Amino acid sequence: MKARAIKAIIGKDLRETRREKMTIFWIFVFPLMWITLLGGIWGGHSPPITVDLGVVYFNETAAFTAQDVVNIMENVTMNNVHVFNIARYPNESSGVDAVRTGRIDALLVFPRGFGENVSSGLQARVYVYFDRSDPQNYQIVSGVIKGFFSEFEKEMSERKLNITLSYMEKYIPANLAGNFTIDDFRRYLIGLANPLELEEREVRGESPSAIQFYVTSFIGIQFLFATMLMIGSGTLEEIEHGTLRRIAASPATAWDFLAGKMLSTFIVITVSILIGIGYAKLVFGETVFPSALGWLMIFLAAVFSMSLGLAIAMGTRSIKATNAIVNLISMPLLFLAGIVIPASILPEWAKPIANYFPLGTALKSLRLLELYHRPASEILPSIAWVAGSAFGMLLIAVVLYNWAIKRLG
Amino acid sequence: MKALVIKKLKKSYGDFLALKGIDLEVEEGEVFALLGPNGAGKTTLIRILAEGLGYDSGEILVFGEPLTKGTARLIGYAPQESVAYDLLTVEENLHFYADLYDAPRERVRKLISEFSLPAKKKARELSGGFKRRLNLAIALLYEPRLLILDEPSAGLDVPSRRELWSLIRKLREEGRTILLATHYMEEAEALADRVAIINEGRIIAVGTPDELKSLAAEESVIHVEGILKGTELVREEFPRTIEREGVLRIGVEEAKTALPRVVELLVEAGSEIRTIRVEEPTLEDVFLKLTGRGLE
Repeated sequence: MKARAIKAIIGKDLRETRREKMTIFWIFVFPLMWITLLGGIWGGHSPPITVDLGVVYFNETAAFTAQDVVNIMENVTMNNVHVFNIARYPNESSGVDAVRTGRIDALLVFPRGFGENVSSGLQARVYVYFDRSDPQNYQIVSGVIKGFFSEFEKEMSERKLNITLSYMEKYIPANLAGNFTIDDFRRYLIGLANPLELEEREVRGESPSAIQFYVTSFIGIQFLFATMLMIGSGTLEEIEHGTLRRIAASPATAWDFLAGKMLSTFIVITVSILIGIGYAKLVFGETVFPSALGWLMIFLAAVFSMSLGLAIAMGTRSIKATNAIVNLISMPLLFLAGIVIPASILPEWAKPIANYFPLGTALKSLRLLELYHRPASEILPSIAWVAGSAFGMLLIAVVLYNWAIKRLG
Repeated sequence: MKALVIKKLKKSYGDFLALKGIDLEVEEGEVFALLGPNGAGKTTLIRILAEGLGYDSGEILVFGEPLTKGTARLIGYAPQESVAYDLLTVEENLHFYADLYDAPRERVRKLISEFSLPAKKKARELSGGFKRRLNLAIALLYEPRLLILDEPSAGLDVPSRRELWSLIRKLREEGRTILLATHYMEEAEALADRVAIINEGRIIAVGTPDELKSLAAEESVIHVEGILKGTELVREEFPRTIEREGVLRIGVEEAKTALPRVVELLVEAGSEIRTIRVEEPTLEDVFLKLTGRGLE
C-alpha cells in the first residue's frame, strides 16, 4: 500500500466534503435534527400519566356515596400531578360514546344503590368501560384505575375491620374466645381481608436515559445512511466523472483507493458522531462518550456499512439506483435492527435481525458496553462476529470493485 | 529509439472487433497524429496505452520495454474530458495527482507557472481552454517521456485552440514524444510530424502529411458553396463527395473535365452557387479517397 496515495485520496475527499453544501447537511445537520427531535419528544423527565376518566353516578343520601369516591379520585396526585382528569356524564350511553370517540380513556359507572351498599357493608359494584383498540394505552389506563380501586378496597377493608373489632371488644365475652385474644382476631381478620401485602422498595438502576439511548441511535443512523451512501455515491461519482479511470491507471492500487475512501469516510462520520455527542451534552445535559472498545465497534460497523454501500454501488453502477437500494435497506433496518427502537420491544420475528444483522449486533453491543457498563468479555463474541462480517463484506466489495473497474466504458 | 512499437494489436468488445490488428511505430521526439473519425478505434487504442485497458492479442513496447504498470509511468495521458475535481482548486488538483503518482511537489509550482494556470481557482470555474491546460499539466506531473493527447482541442474556440497548439509545439521543442489522437485534420496538419490514418480498427496509411497528401496528388478538390440542391446526383457521379456546413467537397481526377459537369448537375437541380474553387487535397481528402467517407 502506498501511504502517500492513500493520504492524497483522504485529503481530496475531505476537501470535497467540506465544500459540498448538501453533504454537510446530510452528514451533520440531518443527524442533529434526529437527536433534537427524538430527544425533545422522549428525552425529558416524564411526568406521571393523567387518565381522562368519565364518571356516571346517581345522587344518593347514604353516608358514603359514589360522589365521595369521585371526589377522592379528583384529589389523587403523584408528584403534584392529578392522576385522574374527571369528566361527569349524565348517563351511561353518552359516557360510552365518549370512550368510543377517544374523548376519554375510560368510563366508570356507579350504578344506583352503590352508596347504600357500601354504607351498609355490602358488596358494591362498579362498571368500567375501556377502549382496547390501543393495547398499550389500555394497559396503562386499566393499571391506573385498577390500582386506585385496589388501594381504595384495602382502605375500606381496614375501616370495616376496625369497626368489626370495636364491636367484638365491646360485645363478645372474654371467655368465649378461648385462648384467642382480640389481637389474634385482628391479625386473622387483616389476613382475611388483605392476604398479601406488596411493599415497594426503590432501587436506583443503571438504565440509560432516553437521551443516551438516542445518542447511540444517532451513531447507528450514521452507519446506516451516511457511511453507506458516502462511499457508494462517492465512488460512482468518480466513475461518472472519469477520475476513477485515471486513478486506476496510476500506480495506486485498488486497495490504496479503497483504504483512502474508507478512511476519509470514517473521519467524516467520526467528526459527525463527535458533534452529535457534544450537541446532546450541550442541549440535553447528558450524552454518551464511547470507550476505546466502543470506538473499535463503531469502526468495525462502519467498515461493514461502507463495504455494503460499495458493493451496492459497484453492483448497480448508478447513483440513483444506489440511493434507492441504500434507502430500501436502511429504512426498515432503522426500526428492525433496534436502532431507534429498543430491541427488547421488537416483535419476535424482528429480534433475530437486531441480534444477528452486523449493524444491529454492533449497536446492541455498543449499548451494553457504554450504557449498561457490561464487561468487555461479554461483548467479545459480538465483536468477533461484526469483525468477521465486515471483512467478508469488504472482500465482496473489492471483488465487485475490480469487476466494475474492468468494465469501465 | 522507438518511443512506441505496437504489433498486431487486437481488441474486441464482445462480438465487436474494435482493433483489427494495429501495427504502429512512433519515433522518440516526434509528434505523431492518429487521425480518424469517431468510432475508428483511436480511443480504444489510447485507453490500452494509457489506462491499462486489456487487449486480446498483440505486443506493445514503450521505449523498448513491454507495457506494464511499471512502464506505464513513461506515458503521460491527457484525456478529452477533464480529470480535475470540480470542488478542488487548480493547485489542489495538481497536488492530488502529484501525490497519487508520487511526483515531486515542486513540479506543481513549475507547471502552474509554465501553463499560466490560476492556482487558487476551483476547477469548475475554469474555461474549457484552461481545463485542457490543467489536464495537460496533470499528465506532465511525473515527467513522462511519451505524452498521449486525446482530442486535445475538441470543443475549444479558435483562440483557445491556437494557444493549446502553441503549448504542444513547445512541449515538442523540449524533446517530448507526443501521440495525438484527433479527428481534426487541421490539428494533425498543424502539429504532426507523421500521421497514421485509422479507420474501422485498422491503420490504413502512415506518413508525413505531405506523403499522405501525395496519395491523392493526382486529385483535385472542387469546393462549392451556396444554396445547394441535387448533391445526391453529384455524389452518384463523383463518389468522393462530402457535404459539410453548406460546403460541397468533391474529389476528382481531373478538375478541368469534372468542373463543368458538377456545375451542370447542381444548376439543373435548382442550386444557387455562390462560390466555386479548385484546391490542392488535404488530409481529409486523403481520408476520403482511402475510405470513401469523411472524417466526421
